[in-house]
Amino acid sequence: MNRDDSKIVAFCCEHSAYQAANKAGRMRLHYPDNVRIIRVPCAGRVDVQHILKAFEKGAAGVLVMGCQEGACQHLTGNTRARERVKYTDSLLKEVGIDGSRVRMVNLGPDMGQQFVAEVKEMAEKIEGEMRR
Amino acid sequence: MNNSVLVIGGGIAGIASALELANCKHDVYLIEREAAIGGHAASYCCKATDVCTKCSVCLVPQKLKEVKTHSKISTLTNSVVSKVSGKAGNFQVEVWQKPQYILPQRCIACGMCFDICPTQPKAIYPPSPEAVPYSYVIDESQCLRLKDEECNLCEGICPTDAINFERKPERQELSVGTIIVATGFDVFDAREIGPLGYGRFPNVVTGLDLEKTFSYEGSLKLPSNGKEPHNIAFIQCVGSRSESHCYCSQVCCKYAMRFARLIKHQNPDCQATIFYIDLQTAGKGFAEFYEECKEAIRFIRGVPVEISETSLGELEVRFENILQGKVGRESFDLVVLSVGMAPRRDSWDLARILGINLSDDGFFDTKEPSNPIETNVDGVFLAGACQVPKDIPDSIAHGTSAAERAMEALERCK
Amino acid sequence: MQVKIGVFLCDCGESLKNIDFSRIREDLQRLEDIAFVDISHNLCLEEGEKAMTSRILVENINRVVIGACSPDLCEHIFTRLLEGLRLNPHLLSLANIREQCSWAHEGDVTGKALELIRMAISKARLLQPIEREVVPVSKQVLVVGGGFCGMRSALELSRLGIRTTIVESELTLGGKMEQFEGSYGIETSPQAILNLMSNTIEEDENIEVLTSAEITSVEGQAGNFPVKIRRGGEQVSQSFGAIIFATGHTTKTLPRDFEPELGRNAISQRKLVEMLQAPEELERRPGTIGFVLDVSDENSRLPILSTLNNALAVKERLGSEVYVFCKSLKVDSEGMEKLYREAREQGVVFLKFEEKPQISKEDGRLKVEARDLLLGEEVALLCDFLVAEEKVLPCEGTEALGSMLNMRTDSQGFYQDENVHLYPVASERKGMFFVGGCKGDLDFARTSMDISSATVSIYELLSSGKVIVEVEKVKVEPDKCQACLTCIRICPHSAIQLVRVDTEKEVAKIYDLACDGCGICAAICPAKAIRFEGYADEQILAEIEAIGESL
Repeated sequence: MNRDDSKIVAFCCEHSAYQAANKAGRMRLHYPDNVRIIRVPCAGRVDVQHILKAFEKGAAGVLVMGCQEGACQHLTGNTRARERVKYTDSLLKEVGIDGSRVRMVNLGPDMGQQFVAEVKEMAEKIEGEMRR
Repeated sequence: MNNSVLVIGGGIAGIASALELANCKHDVYLIEREAAIGGHAASYCCKATDVCTKCSVCLVPQKLKEVKTHSKISTLTNSVVSKVSGKAGNFQVEVWQKPQYILPQRCIACGMCFDICPTQPKAIYPPSPEAVPYSYVIDESQCLRLKDEECNLCEGICPTDAINFERKPERQELSVGTIIVATGFDVFDAREIGPLGYGRFPNVVTGLDLEKTFSYEGSLKLPSNGKEPHNIAFIQCVGSRSESHCYCSQVCCKYAMRFARLIKHQNPDCQATIFYIDLQTAGKGFAEFYEECKEAIRFIRGVPVEISETSLGELEVRFENILQGKVGRESFDLVVLSVGMAPRRDSWDLARILGINLSDDGFFDTKEPSNPIETNVDGVFLAGACQVPKDIPDSIAHGTSAAERAMEALERCK
Repeated sequence: MQVKIGVFLCDCGESLKNIDFSRIREDLQRLEDIAFVDISHNLCLEEGEKAMTSRILVENINRVVIGACSPDLCEHIFTRLLEGLRLNPHLLSLANIREQCSWAHEGDVTGKALELIRMAISKARLLQPIEREVVPVSKQVLVVGGGFCGMRSALELSRLGIRTTIVESELTLGGKMEQFEGSYGIETSPQAILNLMSNTIEEDENIEVLTSAEITSVEGQAGNFPVKIRRGGEQVSQSFGAIIFATGHTTKTLPRDFEPELGRNAISQRKLVEMLQAPEELERRPGTIGFVLDVSDENSRLPILSTLNNALAVKERLGSEVYVFCKSLKVDSEGMEKLYREAREQGVVFLKFEEKPQISKEDGRLKVEARDLLLGEEVALLCDFLVAEEKVLPCEGTEALGSMLNMRTDSQGFYQDENVHLYPVASERKGMFFVGGCKGDLDFARTSMDISSATVSIYELLSSGKVIVEVEKVKVEPDKCQACLTCIRICPHSAIQLVRVDTEKEVAKIYDLACDGCGICAAICPAKAIRFEGYADEQILAEIEAIGESL
């Protein structure tokens, strides 16, 4: 199901989401293959311009995945990421890209199932939008 | 004179000790009985709701990674200490390693052995996802070859020649300056309290079962029928604060509250009740959480004495309701026994080998009450729950402190 | 210099059957700057490493891209290999084609694997080397606070061969030690311990004590904290490699819970201990002594510890009736359950309540009214003395000091932030540690672990007098910096400072030792003046651009 027009870019913090994705792989939990994971040292590294570039290059959805609120090793990284995601979402709405195509997700490193659930949810949402 | 240190036990405390020592330029031998390091804590789950609840489980993978990649730590898994002689500054340690039918250094976890294994369930299978080293394991009770039957399929297909059934137990002799004991604990076996029904009723589970469930499934379903639970009870002090286990296990009240909140976060209609004697709510980062718990969870002061099944298939808990001063009966669809930490059943063996004492409770004893690290043997130190039950952060603190003492002892012995 | 990339792909023992490696190789070899694409069965094993080494020695490449299993399994193997070959280990880019590709999806994933590798290649083109450097650090440690924790920290550091300076605001060392008389048993004598420690400190050449002194400013970063200390009207400046804060706590009987009008019958634990130490001086033996807990604070361990020890002492020395009113006994420390049972055996009566008791005066004694859960009825107890609970609070100056250091406190006002990654004693700022009462509820065993953890962390950091750092991994480009101070304000590790570059200009500078590599500054800089090597904007953007690019 390698749809070129429905890629999902997932910025994954190396302390949490990246490991959760690995766990999903080790448990052979399958999820849609249109996900592209970009490893970052902290969700707080992700900038609005990165998210916008993803959409510019044809991504249909973006996930920014960091540590649980209150568990960021750098204290404020995940909170800042959430703010930036919210801001980007409002920017997208202004250009007519509605429907929360960019989403902030907070995970622990062991949460393989949740990683898969988030990805599947975004994929389904995109699929739904595309059909309309 | 020897600058290296032996750490017996690769759980979170042992790992914390090993890392501290290695970062201070000491060579460390980390001995682990099981096939993978990480101990109990490595199998636990993150208990965040929409905020972190400070369970500290996420500290474990971080430390595991550092141990795995540290050039000064030699990890020996599937290994036990069988003999120790010498004294502080110069111990000779005999280590036996189980036959490495699969060599972890060669296993690349490709899984081809699993695919080809003919038994059901498979005799060769992947380790848990967080295992370090990440190499496959053999269930000796299932393996045809080890039951002297003809089968060479996995050995034949392994692309790295990691498998060899001819391998024998291996003996090693290590020379170290000091020893840190970090062998951890056994989970209290809830079957010891028969009336609570663990092992008889599928919907009576322990805190440890919940850890595994959330870690693998991500959510909680009733073991009996796979449906979502609506009414859960937690029973505290199972295997703690009793005649036979005269101590508080320190972790149970907190993990029960965290689980109750997590379950309710995933399933807001679910009711959670905690039966307790005294609620242990002290500790950094817990006061606020506890305040919120008071609104979300039903706390009943009382000691459940028996669990039985009703005609509707629910679990009826019969308990002493202290507040009302009478026997109460309530039904739930799931009961969680908050089991505590017990001393390891094989502690006596290691105590004998090292010449250290066990306390009345069966944990390793310390030289003085005010000093939770030093044992009666010079150069042998304790770290973690093997000394007294403690949670993950305290185990890390204890482990790093033990490392300090071990280094001081090495200096002294010069 | 022209970029020349060597690509190594691992098919994991030929088990990654849903990836067509030869097709990937074919695609990649068409790229101009790819020197070769090698396929291995086991890059992480000796034979794979040997092959990689030989290849790199023969080819003149300056970037390495590897498509293999998760970096957390193999990255360290490859970086060591590159270091051995005198190739900067940061010129390596990894694509996770196993856990996050082959294993995660059904069906053919060659397309995705190819894309992941192309993402890694795009990034690799822009990678720059990061060098390492040895930085000298000061081996002198500052201990702020000369109470038990401060003194013990200094003594432990001294045993590890590290010199300390204790700065204490009072005239003498000791802090709140005498308040702990009786807390750990009536026989223990904090005064004796204090005397012993003071004398040892006095004789210890490694420890300098500055009493009636306080710190007025702390600058710098781990390895070099210039601190200003004011003492007797004078100000001195000294540089320290690390700082332990042992500024202590305070205890208070909260007026809202125990009205001051209750009179001399409402006593503190300390006062009770005084009575116990000289029972013969009492006018008459008190018939009943009560303790009230869990009124001001339901979440502390110290009150119950003092209560149990003092209750036992009362039984032993005064023989009075002893009643303890509490909500939940905090027994989650070593030996507490046994101490509780012993108290019960000695006749101490424990009454548990759900709602707070009413305390009033009656006939010159104090009346405590509560609903005892165990009896199931209201009880009214007349006490000759009632030991009022004291809440453990952050001491004065805690908040101000936190501000000065740009560090957070927890929800109760104590150091440090509740973030589990800081536990037990670390702070957001590398090289600064918090121990003891200033962190909150006290408990000797945990406090002594705190102190050892802090001292060994400092030993790890400073003992050799030098630290290896990665040079300018995250760097402010001075030409672009507008000195808006944003990065300085938001850096969670206080690793960025303003420095003067010439008479006109000040710019932000990131200190390598203090930087923890999060990149929050790089994202927030409005002028995009901060470059985080390995995760620079152009590198991340290049990865994104490679998605969906056709060859």
